[in-house]
Amino acid sequence: MMKTFHLTITRIGETIFDGDAVSVSFPGKEGVFEVLAEHEALISLLSEGELRIKTTSGETRHFEIPHGGIAEIALNQATVLL
Amino acid sequence: MTPKDIRTKIQTTKRTHKVTRAMEAVSAVRMRTAQRTALADRPYARAAFSILTRLSGSAGFSRHPLTSVRVIRTVALVIFTSDRGLAGSLNSGVLKAAMGAISPYPKEAVVVYAYGKKGEEHFIRRGYRIIRAFANKNDAVEISVMEELSEELAREFARGTYDKVIVAYSNFKSTFEQTPTVRQLLPLVVADVKQLVEDIVPEKGRWSETQTAASSNAYTVEPDDNDVLDRLAPRLVAVSFYHMLLEAKASEHSSRMVAMKNASDKSEEIARDLTILFNKVRQAGITREISEIVGGREALAA
Repeated sequence: MMKTFHLTITRIGETIFDGDAVSVSFPGKEGVFEVLAEHEALISLLSEGELRIKTTSGETRHFEIPHGGIAEIALNQATVLL
Repeated sequence: MTPKDIRTKIQTTKRTHKVTRAMEAVSAVRMRTAQRTALADRPYARAAFSILTRLSGSAGFSRHPLTSVRVIRTVALVIFTSDRGLAGSLNSGVLKAAMGAISPYPKEAVVVYAYGKKGEEHFIRRGYRIIRAFANKNDAVEISVMEELSEELAREFARGTYDKVIVAYSNFKSTFEQTPTVRQLLPLVVADVKQLVEDIVPEKGRWSETQTAASSNAYTVEPDDNDVLDRLAPRLVAVSFYHMLLEAKASEHSSRMVAMKNASDKSEEIARDLTILFNKVRQAGITREISEIVGGREALAA
């Protein structure tokens, strides 16, 4: 069983994604980085690009973030603010 | 009053009752919608606040253009009210709180952004300068409007046109309790934002369950505090602002719902009293007629 963590992608007024993920790759300002479950607490600025989410069912989902955003990761919960 | 007059009055009262009942039901639905919208946005506010808390200790925080505390020459007041009345003491409470908040400043030092007609009329009557006014009609809040407005406020604040931005609105605590609230939007103060995030959860009722917040001070920040803060601060202003509006909407609908409920109860009571009166008058009429007939017959028999 793969360890998972909870991911929320949200912009003001609406939540775009809310569910469990196995891994997510973020387009960080200083290069793409990948987050797995139990990641250390992190706040990172995201550049425009693409989020790649590997969900619990094994499929990979892509989200374009044309204006970048901020990712906050703590206590096995990742939140992306667009 | 003749029985006919009373009957007409009973009918009118019943008709009023129908209207107030319908308005009560409509407000109940709209209140729930507003509450749900506010809750849907909680993850954003919570995460934005966690980030802010982490960054607030950094050296760059107090130097950021949106946190600078200055001598106050101009205050921008944003006021959220409803467009229409029949909402109990909602608007008068908010307007009173707003007037209290701007009372230390001379009239020339205050500019007003009015969202909702009641607030606009109030400040026009008192001769304040209205910069922009919006109608508060739809429940679907145009987020683009809110973002544009908050951007404008942030820009003018950073530029020094306004030295302080405050918002007066009604905070939704529960269906029966809404408190007029005045909150500082700019300069950003951590304590104020914290209060706002906590207020998103109503005190009781079906949406009051709290989510455990991540309280971690051990964040790594990339690329650095200032860059993140530059991005975050305007968003935080926008999300705070948006939430105040949602609180105002939920308050408006619940306040109206309660007002309409009282009106419905009262009209029911009046209809009941009138019916009793109608019966009494009718009975008196019948008694009088009978005694007239009996009297007439006895007069003939004599």
